[in-house]
Amino acid sequence: MAEREATRGLAVRDVVVRYGGTGRRGRNTGTTAVDGVSLEVAAGEVLALLGPSGCGKSSLLRAVAGLEPLAAGSITFAGRDLAGVPVHRRGFGLMFQEGQLFPHRDVAGNVAYGLQTAGAPRAQQASRVQELLDVVGLAGYGSRAIATLSGGERQRVALARSLAPHPRLLLLDEPLSALDRGLRERLATDVRAALTATGTTALFVTHDHDEAFTVADRVAVMDAGRLLQVAAPEDLWRAPASRRVAEFLGYQAFVPSGVAGTPVAPESDGDVLAIGPQGLRVQDRAEDRSEGRAETGGPSPWARGVVVSSVFRRGATEVTVDTDLPGAGERRVVALATTLPDGGWQPGAHVALALDPAGCTRVPS
Amino acid sequence: MDGHGHRLSPTAPRRRRVPVRALAWAGAVAVPLAFLGLFFAWPVATLVARGFVADGALDLSGFAEVFSTPRTWRIIGLTLWQATLGTALSVLLGIPGAYVLYRCRFPGQRFWRAFVTVPFVLPTVVVGVAFRSLLVEGGPLGFLGLDESFAAIVLALVFFNYSVVVRTVGGLWERLDPRAEEAARALGATPWRAFRTVTLPALGPAVASAASLVFLFCATAFGVVLVLGGIRYGTIETEIWIQTTQFLDLRTAAVLSVVQLVVVAGALTVANRARTRRERALNLSSAERSARPLRPFGADALPLAVTVVVVGGLIALPIGNLLVRSLRTPAGWSLDNYRNLGTTGGRNALSVTVWEAAGNSLRTAAVATVLAIVVGGLVALVVSRRPRARAGRRAITLLDSVFMLPLGVSAVTVGFGFLITLDRPLGIDWDLRTSGLLVPIAQAVVAVPLVVRTVLPVLRAIDPRLREAAATLGASPGRVLATVDGPLAVRSLGLAVGFAFAVSLGEFGATSFLARPDTATLPVVIFRLIGRPGVENYGMALAASVVLAALTATVMLLAERLRGDRPGGAGEF
Repeated sequence: MAEREATRGLAVRDVVVRYGGTGRRGRNTGTTAVDGVSLEVAAGEVLALLGPSGCGKSSLLRAVAGLEPLAAGSITFAGRDLAGVPVHRRGFGLMFQEGQLFPHRDVAGNVAYGLQTAGAPRAQQASRVQELLDVVGLAGYGSRAIATLSGGERQRVALARSLAPHPRLLLLDEPLSALDRGLRERLATDVRAALTATGTTALFVTHDHDEAFTVADRVAVMDAGRLLQVAAPEDLWRAPASRRVAEFLGYQAFVPSGVAGTPVAPESDGDVLAIGPQGLRVQDRAEDRSEGRAETGGPSPWARGVVVSSVFRRGATEVTVDTDLPGAGERRVVALATTLPDGGWQPGAHVALALDPAGCTRVPS
Repeated sequence: MDGHGHRLSPTAPRRRRVPVRALAWAGAVAVPLAFLGLFFAWPVATLVARGFVADGALDLSGFAEVFSTPRTWRIIGLTLWQATLGTALSVLLGIPGAYVLYRCRFPGQRFWRAFVTVPFVLPTVVVGVAFRSLLVEGGPLGFLGLDESFAAIVLALVFFNYSVVVRTVGGLWERLDPRAEEAARALGATPWRAFRTVTLPALGPAVASAASLVFLFCATAFGVVLVLGGIRYGTIETEIWIQTTQFLDLRTAAVLSVVQLVVVAGALTVANRARTRRERALNLSSAERSARPLRPFGADALPLAVTVVVVGGLIALPIGNLLVRSLRTPAGWSLDNYRNLGTTGGRNALSVTVWEAAGNSLRTAAVATVLAIVVGGLVALVVSRRPRARAGRRAITLLDSVFMLPLGVSAVTVGFGFLITLDRPLGIDWDLRTSGLLVPIAQAVVAVPLVVRTVLPVLRAIDPRLREAAATLGASPGRVLATVDGPLAVRSLGLAVGFAFAVSLGEFGATSFLARPDTATLPVVIFRLIGRPGVENYGMALAASVVLAALTATVMLLAERLRGDRPGGAGEF
């Protein structure tokens, strides 16, 4: 992003958020939820804050909204410091996990709430409500009572409500986490579409990396109150900045560079090879038997293991294997199998594993 | 912290506050405090001080003197004993009632739920008269020889407080997730064992909360005891009344007021603890899923039998008997008793007709309700906030307890305190005693805690994130109040209006002191009528009691209508 655009957006500088412990003489007896985080969201950009639960991402979001005071650091928007600006004057939208729709208003009443507080003329309110309900795919739902909506519909209304007053920045706090898997995936795409269609700058908090990758232009990984890495989804996936980031993204094992059988990369001394969820393959038993004879075309076996269980998911079999990886010791890993032998992959069966370099990456150790 | 962080207090430097907002909150605290200070703390403190100050010096010898008389100990013993018995019986009978009326499903359930609530809002004088007419020689149960007996008082107290237990416990039971009990059954527990080990512990806080409230109501009972106890039985409250009005012994009355305050503070502390525990989350589900059809000949036979006996024998019988007897005259069935309500009674027992007294009652209750709603609503609003600073949260807890005090301080003490202080309130030459405002103010003092307890749970139950959502949509704090808190709390405010109005209609302790003969209210008139000789006066008292009961029941019915089925709207009574 260009420097000029960044200053039109959100800038978080060395922010610290603490809870609890109003200790004597300023002694800190509480916990530090956010510990010196700096990041920027450019105008029109969608940034996902990704991290395990309890990592401080929601606290950071609430601090940006003005719902938590800062213990240190500053938050600016379009170059203006937000210290002392109360929540309702920031012009930021906030969407919660459970939507928090007003139960005493109907769908249109909820969506219109922010427009009414802004004092928009009635006709303008009505047309904006129509427009937003169209954007979230709920045209004609205006007069429905909140109690009659499904979980997914409620979240769509919540999204429409927070988008209606043209927020300068939209904050989304795990908006899809309370929904079931299929709905979550579908809605993540819809949220992305709604945000780009309205050109909204957004900060999206989630613990699900698939969701973060679907919705965001860039992803910021947080852990234990600190920011570990900020990058575009594909960059983040291709080059995690540390082992912790790689672990959180789902890389399942790490072997030292240069171990026999790993792809050689010259100027990478001290690097670790991170094996992704698709970085290991179970070799066909036929290939296995032919091992040691002439080349049969398949990748050469790299490790051996014992099948623990297997599931068929999304067109491939994921086999859980107990194995002894070169340079990483005994581990339980998941390997993909493209073929299914007669009787499936029985627990206890011995298999050979091959490394698939396309599903692996290097991280600094 | 993810979403839960806001409950904790940050060590961060305080945000700058908008002065307008601070001023508004200061006002919201100051108005109720001033009201309570002027119309409760000051009169009560002045009266108590009169007992302890002799010749300008503090004189505590009154304590030693009062406690050295056996009469005092007898009264204290009687008070505690009847309160304990009344509470134990109410709980024992109330739990099966809560089960049948709230956990089971049967036709006509809504009616019976409303029906058991009627006694709680009946004026104490009416309850006294109803029981008296049942037990008196020649009454339907006269052969039991219970007139002017201890048992009669305890039964009347149970009649009164049964619904407190049923509503408090039932309200929770109705929404208790039945799957915990089902899991216990699946693990091999008998129905009784599952109830004892799973359901009862979950209900525990509600039971404790109800029990401490019932104890409080029993220990401070006045009208019922005065009407039923005759000269032999009394409570600390009736004794305060006797000492001040009959013997003019302010010192004894002051000592007894302090004793009562101690008893009440104890009961309130227990109630408060139990309530805090209750507000913690339980596994609740919707009422529809938890309720199951009543099995009258199966497992539900015993609780059903208990409930039928209580509802039929203890609640319906006195009310029905009151109604029937009000239609009896020496000449047979007639409406004469009701026609006589337009007179001032035999031998001019009263200074106003009963209908005029009814008019007085409605007028004073209306003023009292407005006062109680304004003051109580402000208190509930302030107490429902959760400030970040620990000191602020402590102050709010304190405020909460302070406004519960009028529940426990003898209404007689309040009334008498008004008489001796409000001739020149705060040194201003404006004799409130002749302004006609004293009665409604005293009634409002009594009603404020009920308003607070009805509105507060609803305000507390509003998810704070709802307010946050409104704020991020650009709503200022004032607008959040108007568009989120307001609409959600307005229905409970309807119930609070009903409660305040009903309590004011029935208030007797303070009103009996303050009402002048020409502004007498219905309870005062009824009490005067039963104290006068003559069949005609007694018949009028019965008819007037029916009128008062009908008025109160109508008000409560309207209020219940307003409440609807919103969860949490039931308040805590």
